[in-house]
Amino acid sequence: MVNALAPETTERVHSPRATGSTVDGRRRTRPRRRQAVVAYLFLAPTLLFFAVFLVLPLGFALLLSMSRWAGFDLGEIDPVGLDNFTDLFVDGSTFLTPILTNTLLFALGTVALALTGSVLVANCIDKLRFQGLWRTLYFLPIVTTVVAIGNVWKYMYEPGGLVNGVLNALGLGSVAFLQDPDTALPSVVVVQAWASVGTAILILTAGLKSIPESYYEAAALDGAGPITVFWKITLPLLRPSLLFVCITQFLTGLQSFALIIVMTKGGPGDATNVAALEMYRQAFSYGDWGTASAAAFVLFVVVLVVTLVQLWIFRRKGEDT
Amino acid sequence: MIRRRFPWFSYLVVVTGAVLTVVPFLDMVMTSFKGPGESGTLPYRFLPEAFDLSNYRAAIDQLDLPVLFRNSVIATAVITGSVLLTSSLAGYALAKLRFPGRNFIFRLVLSTMMFPPFLFFIPHFLILVHWPLAGGNDLFGRGGAGLTVSITALAMPFLVNGFGIFLMRQFMVSIPDEVLEAARIDGAGEFAVWWRIVVPQTKPVMVTLGLLTFVDAWNEYIWALLVSTANPDVMTLPVGIQLLQDYVDPTRTMPIVMAGLVLSILPVLILFLLLQKYYIRGVMLSGLK
Amino acid sequence: MTPSHRTGALSRRHFALTLPSALLTSGASGCAAPYQGTGRPGDPIVLTLLSHYASGTLKEALQRPVDEWNATHDRVRVRTKAVEFTDLLTTFMVRQAAGQGADILHPYCLWNGQLVQAGVLRPAPSEHAEEIRRGYGGAAVGASSVGGTIYGYPTEVQTYALYYNKRLLREAGVERPPRTWHELEEAAYRTARRDRYGNTLVQGFGLSTYDDSTTVGQTLALLNAAGGTFVSADGRSTAIDSPAGRAVLDLEHRLVVKGASAPGVNVYKAFQSGQVAMVVSAGWWTGSLKAEMGKDYRDVGVAPLPVPEAGDKRATLSTGFMLGVNTASEHPREAWEFLRWLNTEKVSAKSANRGATTTRMSSLQVSVGSLTGRAEDMRTLLGEGSDPNLRPFLDALAYAVPEPNVPGAQQAKSLLRKNIEALWTGQQSVDESLRTIRRQVDQEVSRSW
Repeated sequence: MVNALAPETTERVHSPRATGSTVDGRRRTRPRRRQAVVAYLFLAPTLLFFAVFLVLPLGFALLLSMSRWAGFDLGEIDPVGLDNFTDLFVDGSTFLTPILTNTLLFALGTVALALTGSVLVANCIDKLRFQGLWRTLYFLPIVTTVVAIGNVWKYMYEPGGLVNGVLNALGLGSVAFLQDPDTALPSVVVVQAWASVGTAILILTAGLKSIPESYYEAAALDGAGPITVFWKITLPLLRPSLLFVCITQFLTGLQSFALIIVMTKGGPGDATNVAALEMYRQAFSYGDWGTASAAAFVLFVVVLVVTLVQLWIFRRKGEDT
Repeated sequence: MIRRRFPWFSYLVVVTGAVLTVVPFLDMVMTSFKGPGESGTLPYRFLPEAFDLSNYRAAIDQLDLPVLFRNSVIATAVITGSVLLTSSLAGYALAKLRFPGRNFIFRLVLSTMMFPPFLFFIPHFLILVHWPLAGGNDLFGRGGAGLTVSITALAMPFLVNGFGIFLMRQFMVSIPDEVLEAARIDGAGEFAVWWRIVVPQTKPVMVTLGLLTFVDAWNEYIWALLVSTANPDVMTLPVGIQLLQDYVDPTRTMPIVMAGLVLSILPVLILFLLLQKYYIRGVMLSGLK
Repeated sequence: MTPSHRTGALSRRHFALTLPSALLTSGASGCAAPYQGTGRPGDPIVLTLLSHYASGTLKEALQRPVDEWNATHDRVRVRTKAVEFTDLLTTFMVRQAAGQGADILHPYCLWNGQLVQAGVLRPAPSEHAEEIRRGYGGAAVGASSVGGTIYGYPTEVQTYALYYNKRLLREAGVERPPRTWHELEEAAYRTARRDRYGNTLVQGFGLSTYDDSTTVGQTLALLNAAGGTFVSADGRSTAIDSPAGRAVLDLEHRLVVKGASAPGVNVYKAFQSGQVAMVVSAGWWTGSLKAEMGKDYRDVGVAPLPVPEAGDKRATLSTGFMLGVNTASEHPREAWEFLRWLNTEKVSAKSANRGATTTRMSSLQVSVGSLTGRAEDMRTLLGEGSDPNLRPFLDALAYAVPEPNVPGAQQAKSLLRKNIEALWTGQQSVDESLRTIRRQVDQEVSRSW
């Protein structure tokens, strides 16, 4: 930063044009070169970071995904072409089913639950007093570490925990939520949705506020009931916010596995195993860095495709109306 | 008129949802007070028999919370400080300075937000391991442990944040050029302009960005888990509490873990409640991208 | 032994008995920076040892001989580090990748193929290999070898046998524990009881779904007893769809369908309370049963694993751990010397009488209720007065088959577990299970080469 000042002050004093040119000239020509130098100095830490932690890793990951490597000696990276990718999809591999299927189900379930919940709640909060208070409450899970969320829910799902306590009080039998392969994935989806609903509510609230009051007044004059208003006015006009919530929640759902590590470690069996967790394991437990990197790229493609499909659907719907 | 009638349905939905949101937190707090044999037994009881603090004392001793706290504080402080500084500097350059390649760099910054973090997980770890001339490594990054021996490993991949730069730039664009120009004419260098005019004017958004970064860094789990596996010295709070619950007295595991969790989320919760206006604005702004 | 049990149920048990002692293994005592060597003459060499003996009596049992070594050796010091068993493999791999691997590793033998292939383990020098081959039973040596090369000193060895509840068998009119699979099934059906709503009161034969080790362990033990193996001799494909494999899955399937087994119930809790008549499990379990059952332990009996037909050759599964030296260690000679001192040097055994001698490792393992692969040590330590239920496990050392440890063995084991569980829960038939296991395991073990 000090360096950024030094050349500029000296230039100001010694430049022959500094005295002669107009203010306008100074603004347009000479300082522009100086500005470029300063700008790059301001950007230097950022660019350096992106070079080391963005460009280099991308290249490295691409190289690894097409190599076989034990992970210890950089000199022993052994290129194998696309073998790692074909191995993921070969007959007998568990990557496609159940792992990738679980990943999609996990994301889809989270989005469906969180979106329904947040649309409902955001719409209702909008009609109440003390909106700030309600939003704060709904926001608590967002600022809480996943380790806390995972452990609390894991404990609540246990036979002696809160959820089964409520079930028993209602006269229902206990459910082994996280131990039964049929209920494990939905149980984790509920928690992920619970944890992300706060953000969605907030963004949808912002979207609701931007819908002009006149639309509602016009609808009221036409005698439309609240449900008609919701379907015909609120939802269509909320489309940009919905799209944003949808895309971000899908992105999070497709790649997050912290909650799963804390709650089930992917079990029972492969019931809650997802692609990002499988990648983590292949690399750091089994030392198969090539397969892990290949899995990461496959997941990246899935993420891209899912995002583009959503953009396309929302845009097409937009043209319809 | 929808708004005139008493919105009983809305109250029902919102209150039910709020109860569902808060109950797990209450359960965590209640469990943290339960004595041996009180948790995980049938029938389920919500309230503890007595509110004594012995689980909190045990959590501080058995989970070694002071060390975990120290590591979490250092990593979070470094990340937050670095993100604020680099975002403000880069944001200023992109918003207010003219230079060749500006559009390209701005687009690059935007594109960094598209790449999912899991893609970088493996290479980031390997880059830190093979960091030249650190932790016993030679010039070519071989032979030693690299940066994984150091607490900086926790912070390294998070030092710069594309969203942070974007956010700062968007706010700085609206600062009138005339103000900056006047300062320049008065003889202020670009650094002085940035420090004396731009930074003070963007304080609210800095608080917002700082808060978002703080919360994320404090709660980060997966990367910290990996780094702590390589070097348990740098274990952070979430990792420590998760990993060390196996070492705790089994009849009291859950209450002690819950006590540790309550203590670990308290700093963030307090900060959030104090500054929630800024935080909520930050989340809404993230909808801009 | 059954590792995750040791670290899950058992270590917690031990912990309960030895509390209160705050043990922050990885946080506090294991936090030393990797040895980087000051290079000054006179400074001792520090060897690090990474195991899963992380808490309770296990940690203490290992620390005792290590302290003894450190008290008597000035030049070479040993420092122990530990993590939970579930994190052990990941910790080996991550620390190795980060250039912080310990000098001495204590892997579960199942992982040896992977660790050797990744270049983590150093072959035993010939004089040590010779000593290992001489001192240990075939199963232990086999588990510590990959492709015929020995990589470490076998430590804990577990064999599988049949646990049974004498009272339940007697009440059902079964006089002696079953010797053949036919008798096993008969006994299972006769002891199983349900209430009028169909809830299981007593399982005739318990099938554990607790974790990889117990779930797969019981099935592989039965498979070995039927003369089958999980992985083919060359290690590149599975042999599960042999007649022996089909017979085991058929047996388990029948037991579930006919109501003698209820895989949803945690066998490792239900057996203690008299809700399970028979279980196949490893020797380490005697220790925790004794602690948990108190007076009721007198009802527990152990018999050799039944074989399909009377007169069949006995066989069962053995699993184990070993102590090996890291290829990245700067002091391999010193590390091997320490291992020799710990594992094969004979000292007088405290528990045994009249100047009998055993190795330090044998005393260590027996003190925590496990075995080593040194049969004569075991006979010395488990002389008169010790638990007769340990005898069948000791006898099995002679005929047990080591768990396959080819590269990819851990993944293969997980795949097998998932498919067995799918069979038990009725999600797939025996045929489908065998087909999927073959497809998935073949894919996994063949690509690891």
